Amino acid sequence: MSTPPTSDVACGSQHCITCGDVGDPSTVVAVDHDRELALCAGADGERSTVEIALVAPVVPGDVLLVHAGTAIARLEDQP
Amino acid sequence: MKFVDEFRDAELGRALAGEILAQVQPGRHYKLMEVCGGHTHSIYKYGVDDLLPANVELVHGPGCPVCVIPMGRVDDGIAIAHRDGVIFTCFGDMMRVPGSNGSLLEAKAAGADIRMVYSPLDALRIAKQNPDREVVFFAIGFETTAPSTALTLKRARAERVANFSCMCSHVTIVPPLRALLESPDLRLDGFIGPGHVSTVVGARPFEFIPADYGRPVVIAGFEPLDILQAISMILRQLQEGRCEVENEYKRVVPYEGNLRALEVMAEVFELRPHFEWRGLGFISHSGLKLSEAYAELDAEQRFSVPGVRVADPKACQCGEVLKGVIKPWECKVFGTACTPERPIGTCMVSSEGACAAYYNFGRFAREREVV
Repeated sequence: MSTPPTSDVACGSQHCITCGDVGDPSTVVAVDHDRELALCAGADGERSTVEIALVAPVVPGDVLLVHAGTAIARLEDQP
Repeated sequence: MKFVDEFRDAELGRALAGEILAQVQPGRHYKLMEVCGGHTHSIYKYGVDDLLPANVELVHGPGCPVCVIPMGRVDDGIAIAHRDGVIFTCFGDMMRVPGSNGSLLEAKAAGADIRMVYSPLDALRIAKQNPDREVVFFAIGFETTAPSTALTLKRARAERVANFSCMCSHVTIVPPLRALLESPDLRLDGFIGPGHVSTVVGARPFEFIPADYGRPVVIAGFEPLDILQAISMILRQLQEGRCEVENEYKRVVPYEGNLRALEVMAEVFELRPHFEWRGLGFISHSGLKLSEAYAELDAEQRFSVPGVRVADPKACQCGEVLKGVIKPWECKVFGTACTPERPIGTCMVSSEGACAAYYNFGRFAREREVV
């Protein structure tokens, strides 16, 4: 059987944004400290505005785990 | 990209597969449940199951938030969406979940103003851009998504966005796991713990699984090497007679979770006495609603909703799939009457649903050589 079209046409990607399986590691490009928002670049280079209240303070270059527009963790080198 | 590429290394994957093969006892059948739909998706996207011995079986758990939304909640959302002046917003996956009389996508085609958003912040932005309309966000998801909703509600209140409200259908992961473990028809040897839920709640909430039910848990990331490593760690526990919660995903998951996220959730939400899960029925203290302090932003208080419980379609076996009792392809309507394009059950809707993962990646029942 040939592979049918992906189910998540509305999402436009291979994973569900609700659960955000890959949790999109994103690199901080710029920070708006007053509004607790950051401009981040995903693995594919696409940029988006991310809520950083749960992981602040962050600086450009930090890699964040972004879930539904909110950073829920900072990625650290594994011990 | 750092933190991604190194966890997709084929050579390391083969080495881990060899480790797993060396750990299994011939003649013993191992059933491991991956709790999270994200793991299910990764397993079939990367063909992780093909690297496992035939006597290591992966059972798909209830951790896809779209898949567990009952039809009655979809009907409630559609009822709000049809109200005059309402802009109803939700994640893309949710739009195709069937209610008793169609999906949100069909309601949109019938004229309701329903918009897909990528985050609750997008919904808040729409509310600010449309001050003369009521904007409702249909919030679903486990503890991974709940902090995002909570922060948005705090922001809405601080910025006095009076036309924004939230229909809260967030759920929590521990009560359904306990319900599953109490289920008499389920035999499991261990759990691959949900990586991103654990980022928020930490590892501690899963300690009841080894303590009360004698099953090991390994919290895992979502890259193929993460999953293989977690399987290897579970098998090692079984081999050594240990039973504990281990954390494979230390680069993201702190033992205590994200305390700021837990604080904001505690402020904005409170537990419902009970919540209905698709296929699993009502589970006590498993759903979240807005706390008294945020009641003014609760869409279910702002608009009346039918609130009617709707039974799942008879042909649909999502419940058994969610409990791991049957494989997706064993469902009577899998791939025939129920497809990702025209889903009957929720497991076929989201790409993280077990049925859609099987369907999209062409996985079907097949014999594998027993080790």
